[in-house]
Amino acid sequence: MFEVFKKELLELVRDKKTLFFVLALPMLVFPVIMALVVFMSSQATLDAQQKVHTYYIVNEHHGENYAERVFYHKSFKKYDGDQRFSSVEELKQAVRNGTIDVGIYLDSDPKKALIEGKQANWQMVFNDAQSINFIYERLRSLAHELSDNLREQTLTALGVEKEKQKAIVQPILVSKVDTADKRENMGEKLGALIPYLLIPLVLMGASYPAIDLGAGEKERGTLETLLLTPVTRTQLVLGKFLTVLLSSLACATVTVLSMALWVSVAISFVRLDTVTSVFSTVTGTDFLLIFALLVPIAAIFSSLVLAISIYARTFKEAQNYMAPLSMGVFLPIVVSLMPNMELTAKTAVIPVTNVALAIKEIVKGTVDYGLLSMIVIASIALAVVLLAFCVHWFSKEEVLFR
Amino acid sequence: MLGLLGPNGAGKTTTLRMLSTALKPDSGQIHINGQDVVAKPLIGRQSIGFLSGSTGLYGRLSAKENIEYFARLHGLRGRALKTRCDELFEVLDMGSFLNKRAEHLSTGMKQKANIARAVVHQPDVVVLDEPTTGLDIMTTQTVINFIRELKNKGTPVIFSTHHLDEVALLCDRVCVIDRGVSCFDDSVENFKVKGQSQELNQAFLNLLQGVGHV
Repeated sequence: MFEVFKKELLELVRDKKTLFFVLALPMLVFPVIMALVVFMSSQATLDAQQKVHTYYIVNEHHGENYAERVFYHKSFKKYDGDQRFSSVEELKQAVRNGTIDVGIYLDSDPKKALIEGKQANWQMVFNDAQSINFIYERLRSLAHELSDNLREQTLTALGVEKEKQKAIVQPILVSKVDTADKRENMGEKLGALIPYLLIPLVLMGASYPAIDLGAGEKERGTLETLLLTPVTRTQLVLGKFLTVLLSSLACATVTVLSMALWVSVAISFVRLDTVTSVFSTVTGTDFLLIFALLVPIAAIFSSLVLAISIYARTFKEAQNYMAPLSMGVFLPIVVSLMPNMELTAKTAVIPVTNVALAIKEIVKGTVDYGLLSMIVIASIALAVVLLAFCVHWFSKEEVLFR
Repeated sequence: MLGLLGPNGAGKTTTLRMLSTALKPDSGQIHINGQDVVAKPLIGRQSIGFLSGSTGLYGRLSAKENIEYFARLHGLRGRALKTRCDELFEVLDMGSFLNKRAEHLSTGMKQKANIARAVVHQPDVVVLDEPTTGLDIMTTQTVINFIRELKNKGTPVIFSTHHLDEVALLCDRVCVIDRGVSCFDDSVENFKVKGQSQELNQAFLNLLQGVGHV
């Protein structure tokens, strides 16, 4: 068995294509892609923050103080064209035409409205389809300042002490006391993303060598000679399986290490306190636990792709079988993200979903070691069954000599 | 030296695969040196050397690594492995390309490496499945020389072929298979007699006509 393993490993490390997919891709290409995405999105946010928007106010006399504040705000520039607008409909049209970026319609003077016991209704007209938009927040904030001042002045004039004003305006103050710590909150989000990246990579790390070791042998005409050596089919399959498993784990390990490296580099350049605090609470033991969970799942994938590869007649046929598997692996991961989906005794036996849920719990710091053991046992049991099937497959003449 | 003849689809490859233990026969027995290799295929594999025209090598291993790998799978280790491999490298004149990766070897070099791989464990019987099919003249000659060498050493060889000139050149005995059934099994001389022609090609056609194939 070890002779087969040693030889397969030697061939694997000499295969540039597999090395690229297993090592180079996770080490360099993924971080570069992630860095590009982060850079582009932060650039887009910066551009949106720095953009100066053209505005037009209808009935400016109802809120001269407000108009003045908007005028002096660095993000807004008063429309200096010849057109005049007088209604919300006209403002909408102007925004659609691109004449202005935002139209502000002041229906009444809030001071006068207040005396009459009414609310002033000011409308902000703009295109909210853009994902990054600071227009509404900025204009609303300026209006809120005025609103608060007006309320305070009115209540003071009515003889209400400043301290009592808050209670009158808001008699009941509801506040949230979250029992989840910062790690748990961030872990819920971050922990859900990690399986998305890791589990498909484990499959990818197994697929490429498996295709070469099964269908590739058939296509090159080396399988028959291998079958005629005094080595049992079980030993042959185990030798090949260990190679595929090692490649799969190498791919996952390199990815985790590369991610850790790049995240630490990124944090040293950009201060992200929340991310730093979350990563600082994830201990080495947690990383080891994640890796320990990846071993049985890598074993499941390795047996599965090896069985598929042995069945396929050619490299191309094997690739065709692998494609739906690569897509299919996302389904159990998506299931783990569904609402109310938690790691329980039942979900601990659902392949792939169980590991995805467990990784989330590990990152959150709320892992149940009993359930973790269940996952490992269930996954190893499945891997053994699949491996036994693989050996059976490798002994069938109809499969080997299709 | 037995030549296995038959039209395409007659069952030559299946027969040779059964002899070499790659396939398990539905019925019947196969004995090599008194050992039932159907019941004990691992023992059979130790006694058989197999080569075909389409046998490949591991492209990312050198010719030497390929041969040594198969030697180890057959249980050779240490000095015994080195001595045997060196002997084959010299006999087959492989010195110039031993450390070249198999993917960069010419067809002739590959076939030499394949021959060495097939006999590295010094098998009792050598099974050759159309070993010259698709090879150029030079490479074919290498294979013929190898078979002749085996014959001279007294190693039993069973080989299937469509080239009857090779049969004339090498074989003592001929077996003809048609639709999975042996329809002739005797000496080359009797093959000519039964086929009513001194030309082996014609004798082969006549023989098949006689069993209603053509």
